[in-house]
Amino acid sequence: MEQETQAGVLSVKKKGTTSAVSRVARFMGVRAITLFFTVVIGIYTTIMIANMGGYVDEIKRNDIRERVNMQVAQMTANKSGITTEQRRELADSMVALEVKRQGLDTPFAIRSVRYLADSLRLELGRATNMVSDNGSREVRNIILERLPATLLLMGTSQLFLFFFSVLIALTLSRAYGSFWDKMVITLSPTSAAPPWFYGIFFILIFAAIFRILPFGGMVTAPVPDNTFGYILDVLKHLILPAGSLIISSLFLSIYNWRTFFLIYSSEDYVDMAKAKGLPSRDIERRYILRPTLPTIITNFALLVIGLWTGATITETVFLWPGLGRTIFRAIGLFDTPVIVGSTIIYAYLLAITVFLLDFVYVLVDPRVKVGGGK
Amino acid sequence: MFKKSFSYAFALLIVASMVLAACQPAQTTPTEAPPVVEPTAVPPTAVPEVPTEVPTPEVVQTTRKGGWLDEIVFSVVGADSALTQIEAGAIDIYANGLSSSDLVAMNDAGIPYETASGLYYDMLYNPAGPEFSDGRLNPFSSRKIREATNWLFDRDYLNQEIYAGGALPKYFAITTQFPDYADLADVARKLESFYAYDFDKAKEVIDAEMEALGATLVDGKWTYNDTPVTLILVIRNDSDRTRIPMGEYVASQFEALGFTVDRQLKTGGEASPIWIGSDPIEGQWHVYTAAWSATVLDRDQSNIFQEMYLNSSAQGIPAFLDNVSDPEFKELGDRLASADFSTVEERHDMMARALELSLQDSLQVFLIDGKQYVPHVEGLVATADLAAGVEGSQIYPHTMRWADQEGGTVRWATQDLFAEPWNPVAGSNWSFDKGVIRAVTGNDVVYDPFTGLVWPLRLESADVVIKEGLPVAKTLDWVNLSFEPEIAVPGDVWADWDATAQTFITAETRFPEGTTANAKITMHYPADLFETVKWHDGSNVSVADFVMAMIMTFDRSKPESAIYDEQSVPTFDVFMSQFKGMKIVSTDPLVVDYYTDTYSLDAELTIPLIWPVYANNVEESDWGFIAIANAAEAGGELAYSVDKALAQEVEQTSYIGGPSLEILAKYLDTAIAEQTIPYAPTLGEYLTAEEAVARYEALKAWYGEHGHFKIGTGPYFIDQAFLTEKTATVKQFADYPDLADRWAGWSTPKLAAVELDGPGQVKIGEEATFDVFITFNDEPYATDEIKMVKFLLYNASNEIVKVAEAVAVEDGQFSIVLDAATTSALAAGSNKLEVAVVPLTVSQPTFVSIEFVTAQ
Repeated sequence: MEQETQAGVLSVKKKGTTSAVSRVARFMGVRAITLFFTVVIGIYTTIMIANMGGYVDEIKRNDIRERVNMQVAQMTANKSGITTEQRRELADSMVALEVKRQGLDTPFAIRSVRYLADSLRLELGRATNMVSDNGSREVRNIILERLPATLLLMGTSQLFLFFFSVLIALTLSRAYGSFWDKMVITLSPTSAAPPWFYGIFFILIFAAIFRILPFGGMVTAPVPDNTFGYILDVLKHLILPAGSLIISSLFLSIYNWRTFFLIYSSEDYVDMAKAKGLPSRDIERRYILRPTLPTIITNFALLVIGLWTGATITETVFLWPGLGRTIFRAIGLFDTPVIVGSTIIYAYLLAITVFLLDFVYVLVDPRVKVGGGK
Repeated sequence: MFKKSFSYAFALLIVASMVLAACQPAQTTPTEAPPVVEPTAVPPTAVPEVPTEVPTPEVVQTTRKGGWLDEIVFSVVGADSALTQIEAGAIDIYANGLSSSDLVAMNDAGIPYETASGLYYDMLYNPAGPEFSDGRLNPFSSRKIREATNWLFDRDYLNQEIYAGGALPKYFAITTQFPDYADLADVARKLESFYAYDFDKAKEVIDAEMEALGATLVDGKWTYNDTPVTLILVIRNDSDRTRIPMGEYVASQFEALGFTVDRQLKTGGEASPIWIGSDPIEGQWHVYTAAWSATVLDRDQSNIFQEMYLNSSAQGIPAFLDNVSDPEFKELGDRLASADFSTVEERHDMMARALELSLQDSLQVFLIDGKQYVPHVEGLVATADLAAGVEGSQIYPHTMRWADQEGGTVRWATQDLFAEPWNPVAGSNWSFDKGVIRAVTGNDVVYDPFTGLVWPLRLESADVVIKEGLPVAKTLDWVNLSFEPEIAVPGDVWADWDATAQTFITAETRFPEGTTANAKITMHYPADLFETVKWHDGSNVSVADFVMAMIMTFDRSKPESAIYDEQSVPTFDVFMSQFKGMKIVSTDPLVVDYYTDTYSLDAELTIPLIWPVYANNVEESDWGFIAIANAAEAGGELAYSVDKALAQEVEQTSYIGGPSLEILAKYLDTAIAEQTIPYAPTLGEYLTAEEAVARYEALKAWYGEHGHFKIGTGPYFIDQAFLTEKTATVKQFADYPDLADRWAGWSTPKLAAVELDGPGQVKIGEEATFDVFITFNDEPYATDEIKMVKFLLYNASNEIVKVAEAVAVEDGQFSIVLDAATTSALAAGSNKLEVAVVPLTVSQPTFVSIEFVTAQ
């Protein structure tokens, strides 16, 4: 009987394990398919928006005609003997070549599907108008070339902002109503101004008036001829853009986290822990941080992939060679391969992050189960 | 309590500083990358604007060779912060230039600047109609209404209000600062006077024409078929943004006449499908705020009337194609465009008449001749080409210097760098990239920044023979001009290229029946050319460099060639339709004959460039680099043009950086190992295997030292280039053959300063004499440097009653005598005498006027 019971327990356990595996597998499958279709829809929507549903072809054709006319006028300046017909034929031939080069001789509907299929396979192809700084037209190179500068600026500023904000907020949440708490609350509206505003402000103060920091760029011209000097120079150029990104969000970020932690700091079990005389550090770590970890991790994960997008206007103000400027320029030039290339990478990163976060939640919070089963 | 107060005070301080900062003047927008064409305008009755206040340095004899400067450091700076950075001492010059909107700030800050042609603005009308396809009325189908809008717009007001007075009012398609305007100055002034702002006159003409078209004025609003006549005005809201206020002004003027105006603010991309892409008869627009630019100092604008008004315009834009012009104007414009005139005088008369007829047509009503400003620090001498500014001038590397020293560094900032791969054949054509390339490039000639003529740089002299009956003249002594009834092309000259055999095809093969040409040019190089002129890698320039450039003119456009590129074909076809042949007559010294049907009104500009320059005659290259780049393209690893690179899915050739360098280095090693003589059946006659290897080895050593393949023969060489950091450093080339002061005389344009002196009161029927004093830098202007001094006499009704030339008295002085008959024709009242001084050394005329009273 006992054996039977044990066997029954084992059977139930095995069944339970099989059920959990199947539940997780089903969850993973459904989630992966859902995310994939979300990515497909997102990318195709991007393609359609970036091309105004195909109207960009019209814009490009006319733009080509205008530019070619001007080129021909320049090429034939001061030259008698070249007839009007020859000039017109020259212009028409040059227009035809450019139309072909930009792929405008293929209907947009076909091109849009091709863009989608290629991008989903991460075959990013070649840009139509843009080149990387070192002269490559491969979208991969255009993006990768700007990635280090973006990661340096965004990584430095956003990671500092995140960890500094969380740490300060945690402390402030336990010092509700203190001077520093009030100070943060008072200063939090300063985040209403965007980073580029502080950027201009900083440039005026530190570059134009005090002349102690550079106006912009990533390195001084001429470039320092040794690695150490180069690194120091880059760091010097990083101060103002990173500073403006940090300052513009710092107080609001601390305020947000502080308010978030404050809710958990007021829970009964925290008061109980205090009453038991547990050290502050233990209370923060075990009773406040632990239950908030899913939120912190989610924010952190999204922040990390958010680095990919760069900070367009701030990069422009400081002439920082980051991805934000590249993508902005691609939009202005209707360079679909670059737009789609950067979007698909972001989309995949986002999808993978969302996918993984569900499992991370299980690891950090025992109350959560994958797929929501019992 | 203290802490609380401190918190509040600190917060208030932050907020206050934000508010104050927000009250700063708005940042300016970057200037748009320039395209091309040509303008005109009417300078006010005063001395034209002086481009810069920089004093001309006292140039002393020097022993320095190459550039005046030790180095120029190029970097990228946003236009928004350019002036601040100059003030802060962070940069020395913003070479890409700023628009008129920055003029006030520049003047306020006391920052010197150079000027060049900027955009020029006009209203382009839709000529379709009189009814669109949906039955709406298009008033601008009427030439008379279009013409009347010349009186409707106050160009001076626009200049003062929108362009801070820094631009020029403009009436014509021809460019104010170009030679044609100077040549036609008196005609232009007469027309400008006739078409001066007169709202009432515009209203009178337009009212009459609208009624004739069947429109009715109801309660002050024009209606047609009981519907308000609504004008669709497409206003560009990007570029330098000045077209927004200009469009608003134009709209308000039309509204004042009784039209309803639909203002449609659009970017260039949004606007082009409407004004370029739509059929005019659909009526998607009535008026477009157009703008064009002139980046080449064009000395012959004969084709401008056809280009900007007629339905035979090569622009192929529907608005032009639909314009039905006056038959006389059409014929005249087409004849001018095809150079159907036999003398300069005949052309002058045709141009004068075309100016008049163009205003009667007014498919485009030109309003403003914009300027571009190149700011720099005090003490820097920077020469600006009248059309192309500093960055686009070929002469700047020869003249840029610090006023009080030899050597030193200039920190040159521009809009961008390395926007596209650099290669000599089909690489980047951005003005900011070319700005760097010009510093390191040599050529046959140097373009005069103030007249558009050319001076010999490496050439010594040229003999130009023109077929009799063609209106060609010469100005400069280094060119010999003669005429012959017929110019037969000898059978042994190179007239084409056989890409399979890699040999030239002679004229007797290409033209079995024989052929003639409109022009034969013989170019003479100095005897020591191949000893004194060196590439930056230390190699001497050789005949092979010239022959390689000749071969490359043909080879890329031949389908049988290993480097065939269809992108090159359209321009090649035009070239071949004119080209008849060339021949190396002598290699020591180098003498080359060239036969062509293309000519210019100036013999100097008829001379072809056979120096080893490639794309747009700017990119110089030795044969060694071309050989390895060709090999890489033939090997399917690189391509010169973006078209071919994309089609073949390879990288575009770049000698300055990027993935190309490794590939080029590989082919260089192969060329050394195999002792390659490119195009051996032809170049083998000018090159030995040893010489070839020596050239390759020099290039390899250069690459090893500098990390790029760009070499030239210019006064500077590219020491280092950092593509991601967007900075490059060029240094003085000590082995340059010429002294640094060779071009010192071209530092500043010799704009004529003119004073007009004469009696304030003239008795009717009596002779009156006026003196014209012409100076430059307070020194008398040499008479032989002045093309003409013309005067226009206006009566009390502001009508021109006499146009004639002043008489030279001595250097710097001319005299105008109004004889008794002339003064007898004047009624009592206030009259005006206006003088136009047209120098030979700069194609910008100077106008001054004086008023005098006539009495019995």
